[in-house]
Amino acid sequence: MAILEVHNIEKHFKNVQVLNDISFSLEKGQVLSIIGSSGSGKTTLLRCLNFLEKPDQGTILVGDQVIFDAADPATQIEKEVRKKRLHFGLVFQNFNLFPQYTALENVTLAPKLMAKETGRSPEDIEADGLALLAQMGLEDRKDHYPHQLSGGQQQRVAIARALALQPDILCFDEPTSALDPELTGEVLRVIRSLAEKKTTMIIVTHEMAFARDVADQVIFMDGGYIVEQGTPEQVINHPKEERTKQFLARYFENA
Amino acid sequence: MFIHVTLSLLEGMWTAIELFLLTLLFSLPLGLLVAFGSMSKWAPLRHVSRLGHLPAALRHFRPISALTELVVWIIRGTPLMLQLIIIFYGPGMWFDNNIWAFGNGRMVACVVAFVINYACYFSVIYRGGIESIPQGQKEAGQVLGMTKTQIFFKVTLLQVIKRIVPPMSNEIITLVKDTSLARTIAITELVKAGESFMKSDGITWPLFYTMVYYLLFVGLLTLLFNWLEKKLDYFK
Repeated sequence: MAILEVHNIEKHFKNVQVLNDISFSLEKGQVLSIIGSSGSGKTTLLRCLNFLEKPDQGTILVGDQVIFDAADPATQIEKEVRKKRLHFGLVFQNFNLFPQYTALENVTLAPKLMAKETGRSPEDIEADGLALLAQMGLEDRKDHYPHQLSGGQQQRVAIARALALQPDILCFDEPTSALDPELTGEVLRVIRSLAEKKTTMIIVTHEMAFARDVADQVIFMDGGYIVEQGTPEQVINHPKEERTKQFLARYFENA
Repeated sequence: MFIHVTLSLLEGMWTAIELFLLTLLFSLPLGLLVAFGSMSKWAPLRHVSRLGHLPAALRHFRPISALTELVVWIIRGTPLMLQLIIIFYGPGMWFDNNIWAFGNGRMVACVVAFVINYACYFSVIYRGGIESIPQGQKEAGQVLGMTKTQIFFKVTLLQVIKRIVPPMSNEIITLVKDTSLARTIAITELVKAGESFMKSDGITWPLFYTMVYYLLFVGLLTLLFNWLEKKLDYFK
């Protein structure tokens, strides 16, 4: 059963159409990689899923439940949106950790603010946060502030922070683009381990080799359209569309 | 004589401190409100398409923001001394209704003038601080399901405070010396207290002696701000 279904998403900024008729679905426990050049709409698509942008057209379903329908204002009420966006977690390109909180506090802040609704105890949240940091290999960094951590460590804290709310689908927006090549590996390793644990993920990335290894499904976007989608074998190894071939050729040439 | 002057100046100093503290007490929160006003994005004409096609300038007109910016312009654009005179004498002069004719009405009028004036200056500092926080901080809070209020108080506020300490310390130190304007409406603050000895005893040194008081006060504040900056140094 598909955990996520996206139907006919359209989005424009001023006069520029950035997303055109975007439709895809994702099975629970699968990894979807979205590839494409800068400005192709990948990030905007991710931001639409996380309600950071409002699509002009289209519907989004999570586990059969319509969480967004551009034609139905009832699905766009501010209060509801706050709850619905929790289906998704988002890891940003430049981490966006809260600088005034330690690594552990970054992870536990949102669950603690939500404790009244979820009924979780602070001890429980704390223990959960520590376990997540340990999973990221950062238990000895729990009391460090973001500026005391390397980029790779910061990004891993950000992943733990997103996981702390147990989202159905974890989204990554170019998670390694702001990192030194040396630090990229540690973040990719963590994402790979999440894939092995059957975490449902959408990863916007320029790491083509990584997408090929980890993803169950790949979408290639260009100019706001989905040009090609399928398994990594189909899209990355044997692209059908000319535009995909061009993009990949240029990519592997440079790599 | 020295002790007599010292004590007399202390009294003037106390008036200045009262004015200083009361001004801060009210203008710090009011300034935040003014800042939110000037940042208000409310544009009621945006959706009025029934009236036909409105020119862009009208559609983007933000009345709350425009009004607060007008007020800030007037308050920052005219001398505090004049505002003080208008607020204290205005009601009696133009409306024949001296609303300040009670016990310490003078002081209250003075506080009102100072609060309005300083709230406007503070609002610009607040706005600068708030707008300097990267959008990503707010978005990170949003995707973690925080409410707007939670994002402001748990994510943004401390970062804003850290950034505005230096400009705020400037403004607050200026306020110390601006208290001397209270004499315009015959409040005996420090300078007036010192000057009074020229008339009564024909001596000038008490007037210059007041500088010691100002310097001590500002010195103390400087230490306080340095401590605060250090205290917020734990994050970047």
